[in-house]
Amino acid sequence: MNAPIEGVALAIVIVGLALSTFVTRTSFLAAGARGRLHPRVETALRYAPVCTLTAIIVPDVLMHAQHADFSLLNPRLAGVIVSGLWLTFSRNIFGCLAVGMAAFSLLRLAQ
Amino acid sequence: MGFDAQHRQLVIPKNPERRAAFKAGQRAILQSLPGSATWGLVSGVAMVKGGLGVPWAIFMSLTVYAGSAQLAALPLIATGMPIWVIVATGLVTNLRFVIYSAALRPYFVREPLSRRAALGFFMTDFTFTLFMRASQEGWLPERHRDAWFAGVCANNWITWQVSAITGIVAASYVPTDWGLEFTGTLALVALVGPALMARPALVGAMVAGVVALLAHGMPYRLGLFVAAIAGIVAATLADTWGVPRKPRQAEAAP
Repeated sequence: MNAPIEGVALAIVIVGLALSTFVTRTSFLAAGARGRLHPRVETALRYAPVCTLTAIIVPDVLMHAQHADFSLLNPRLAGVIVSGLWLTFSRNIFGCLAVGMAAFSLLRLAQ
Repeated sequence: MGFDAQHRQLVIPKNPERRAAFKAGQRAILQSLPGSATWGLVSGVAMVKGGLGVPWAIFMSLTVYAGSAQLAALPLIATGMPIWVIVATGLVTNLRFVIYSAALRPYFVREPLSRRAALGFFMTDFTFTLFMRASQEGWLPERHRDAWFAGVCANNWITWQVSAITGIVAASYVPTDWGLEFTGTLALVALVGPALMARPALVGAMVAGVVALLAHGMPYRLGLFVAAIAGIVAATLADTWGVPRKPRQAEAAP
């Protein structure tokens, strides 16, 4: 694992992320009077965030020292499962974080 | 009218009618502010516990102003991924705003470019959703919609920033070994979870998750993009094949 990004590189990352917000949010608003999204493109764009975020979450939760750990004793996996179950009956994010952190912390302390 | 006068008029309109519209916008967003404050707080905590120093976290909150992109970038920053990988990940996470931007364009097409750009930058999931609901339910004001939306965005921005900075400062007093950095991952789960109720999104997420695991060893974290693209393709196909074609209807012109 590499060292965390800091200093000038971190500044570049943050400015780059800010530009990505600006470019996507102003894209069609700033464009001239012409142009509209093709329906297929709009469909693809709609699912882009969910797929990208899932592609970040899954290895982050399961991969441990180059191995996928599907054990329910994996604190991160247990936390995500408990949070996911919470979300099926409540959208309250504080509750979601609380139960997930509780499961995560319990298993981490038990190990 | 010079740029400066025009710009000032957007933020705090002088014209009484525009001022009233701005204030009506500020009132209209009140119901969404608790949600905005919660996300701001969670993003603030996750940024600091994800390894950013307090000044960097505040800088990020003020300039990026996109909770999901910030949360997505954090694990990549912490593990020292190449700069372009992190920025590209943020960009893909932000792609939904292109749809929002296209949907808002007809309403503001007569406004000057600087105003359209400003309204675009301050638009978020919450403010866009409110604007479209107001339009569909027929309570969007007939005139000075830009001032109304500026009022919506102003209140949302202030709420988000105050709560994010509160979270940033508060989290800096919490010991690292509490494992609070995991709240960032859980916040992403809370973002993704409700979206999975739509079947194409579920298909896309499953494909993206499996490919992300299989492609995890690829250099430069290319696996992330391979997985995201595979998921997007799967979701788009599921959307196109799974849903019976709606009869073509003229889009409601605003």
